[in-house]
Amino acid sequence: MPSIRRALVLGAAAMAALLSACSPAAPEPEGSVLRARLNADIISSDPGMKRDANTDAVILHVVEGLVAAREDGSVGPMLADRWTVSPDGRTYRFHLRDGVRFHNGAPLTAAAVVWSLNRYLAPDSRWRCKADLSHGGVAPVESVRADGRDMVEVRLEQAAPLFLAELARLDCGGTGIVHRDSVDAAGRWRYPIGTGPFRWGEWRHKQFIDLPRFDGYRSLPGAPDGIGGGKQALVDRVRFSVIPDGSAAAAALVRGSLDVLDALAPNELANVTGVPGIHLSSAPSLDFYGVLFQVKDPLLADPRLRRAIALSIDVGALTRVVTHGTGSADSSPIPTASPFFGAVQRPLIKRDLAAARALAKEAGYKGQPIRLATSHSPPEMYDAAILIQAMARDAGINIEVETIDWASQLARYTNGNYQAMVFGFSARLDPSLTYGVLIGDKREEPRKAWDTPEAHALLRQSIATADPAARQRIFDALERRFRAEVPAIILYNTHRVTALRDRVTGYRNWPGQTQRLWNVAREAR
Amino acid sequence: MLTYIFKRLLLAIPTLFLVALAVFLLVRLIPGDPAQVMLGEGASPEAIASLRTELGLDEAVPVQFATWLGRSLGGDLGNSAITGEPVGALILSRFQLTAVVVLISVGLATLIAVTFGLLAAWRQNSRLDLAVLGMASFVLAVPSFWLGLVLLLVFGVMLQWLPVVGYVPFSEDALGAVLFLVLPIVTLTISETGVLTRMMRSSTIDVLRLDYVTHARAKGLSERTVLMRHVFPNAFAPTLTLVGLTLGRLFGGIAVIETVFTLPGLGRLMVDSVLARDYPVVQGCLLFTATLYVLVNLLVDILYPLFDPRVTVS
Repeated sequence: MPSIRRALVLGAAAMAALLSACSPAAPEPEGSVLRARLNADIISSDPGMKRDANTDAVILHVVEGLVAAREDGSVGPMLADRWTVSPDGRTYRFHLRDGVRFHNGAPLTAAAVVWSLNRYLAPDSRWRCKADLSHGGVAPVESVRADGRDMVEVRLEQAAPLFLAELARLDCGGTGIVHRDSVDAAGRWRYPIGTGPFRWGEWRHKQFIDLPRFDGYRSLPGAPDGIGGGKQALVDRVRFSVIPDGSAAAAALVRGSLDVLDALAPNELANVTGVPGIHLSSAPSLDFYGVLFQVKDPLLADPRLRRAIALSIDVGALTRVVTHGTGSADSSPIPTASPFFGAVQRPLIKRDLAAARALAKEAGYKGQPIRLATSHSPPEMYDAAILIQAMARDAGINIEVETIDWASQLARYTNGNYQAMVFGFSARLDPSLTYGVLIGDKREEPRKAWDTPEAHALLRQSIATADPAARQRIFDALERRFRAEVPAIILYNTHRVTALRDRVTGYRNWPGQTQRLWNVAREAR
Repeated sequence: MLTYIFKRLLLAIPTLFLVALAVFLLVRLIPGDPAQVMLGEGASPEAIASLRTELGLDEAVPVQFATWLGRSLGGDLGNSAITGEPVGALILSRFQLTAVVVLISVGLATLIAVTFGLLAAWRQNSRLDLAVLGMASFVLAVPSFWLGLVLLLVFGVMLQWLPVVGYVPFSEDALGAVLFLVLPIVTLTISETGVLTRMMRSSTIDVLRLDYVTHARAKGLSERTVLMRHVFPNAFAPTLTLVGLTLGRLFGGIAVIETVFTLPGLGRLMVDSVLARDYPVVQGCLLFTATLYVLVNLLVDILYPLFDPRVTVS
């Protein structure tokens, strides 16, 4: 027995030693702190390089581009207060704002902008917008040069009205301009030294990212608008806490350990709705969810069968169930919140089982199984697949749901390795970019669902056209073709719902889907 | 004793090699790769190919395995494909927290299980026995994530006695760390108590029926002495085996608890890495937990003779 006692004492001592050696600490930051939640850790701190939506949201508090996306999808000034475009549409001259400084105190100069842009466009760069801004892309950049201390000239290979929209893309980190000390002597990335209202602080993997206020921030005048406009850091520090579990995050908000709970999943809404001290903020998003078809598949190559599936789905009912009443049913790739969502885009495809059966029969369909891949990321995609399966069954269409994890789904989407797939696309501010995720050459990019010469031509026209009315006509033509050829079925756009403690003021959702914690204040308890 | 330990460690080498091979091949059989996950849904094929080259994923699988194994033998488990952090340091930093939670929880669960298992067996078929059995069955049936969420709601949100998120490590805020770890430890303790209690009870019932116990009682020894000196050591041996297996399992497997309580431990690291297809981290974590499993079981085998005199190391 003494041996057992000794073993117990030794065990207790070992536990105490382990406890005291436990990993580095997460001290509570001093001063006013705004606490927000991320449902997963960010992937990197390099704007638009290794990224996902969480990464973009955090980085956009730290870096700013020459221009920025506005809430209506247009592009406004940011680090450049004005710019000119040459008559041939190929040369953009950006004038930099006075008095802007990087977080390390260095002034923003044209040379710094040129360095940043060239880094994004370098041959070994994996910047998300590189393909679009390189030869063969939407707005191929020929050269970037500094003209004096505060003028940057970008020359394009051809006129490209979408050039500014590309620069402002959120998923490209807003083409954030960083100081060259953001990389080490060997060119390896360290952390972003940007010009945003918050500085890069501490990133403790899987735990939190701390962004202290940048006291030297130089704001644009006016109200905040999208990622641009007047921005102020109204708290000493922002902390993005990584809390994967939705219920735990809701508990933290109710308890007051969290101030902002963004991107509430529809099935988590009930946890916070009506709770004293908590209010909700909601806005329609520019994302879309739908069913992609592999049009090279022998069975689904026939557009009549694809259309039959579309006619079997009650899009409105599906949206109400899947999004718990928060989403907007939509049959168009152009989201309902877009200024280009017009009369042609508005009508939903109505459920018509008789027509669906007739079309399936006409296509020679004899009940062969159609595999519909889906995942639980987000869970609504799985719910949508189950409903589609049930609805299609009413039209005699035999759908088998195949549930896989997100990484597997992403691989199969990228390789075009599916018959049908429920998939979602994050917000794109311009309809050309939205259509761009669907239209493409399947030989080069198997993930593209729509590959017909007419669609390619219309997309090219939309990219090359600047006049909004002319662009609307092109998008209307695309819409009609899309509904006739049915390379995909659009189901709904989500609404971004954020739950906030009542002590938080100034928070507004917007169609761009990213959290914006500038101009947000938190009253002391 | 030393020869025995040495032999057991030698035998562990082929086991760990097979684990390493299986893990390496299995993670590559799952569709998806880290380059695609890191670059997102609209990444260009060129960018994905370039990142795959940088991560060494374009090499033949046997070459990748040989490279990884060679480095691992030298103590270098590589770097995370996602964050670039050294895998060894990452695992150790996460394991410290997991180890604390698991060791304290299993220690407490063992103490509770031994006490109540022994008492229940001693008073078999009594109200006490029925109550212990009922509780053990109940906690066995309750999923740990549900229990964790209920405790979080009651003690974190309603009573506001304990924090709900924001793990604070011991080295900076001792009280904060202890308070934060209370709920995960209580949850895990309750979850693990059920099976240990049932095991302790059933093995004690078996031992109580043996002749030498009757003999001890006939000698006039007190019930306390009979139980503690003659019954407990023999009855505890099977429970000890289960404790060893439980420790091995939990060291790599409390991802659910870590997710509910936002603890940056080894389980969450492993799950996140599997979902992100972070091959080096998945391989490193699984190899590490397999090694722990082997070591914990070796430790249990060495401790066995302390409780069961019929077993000798030789």
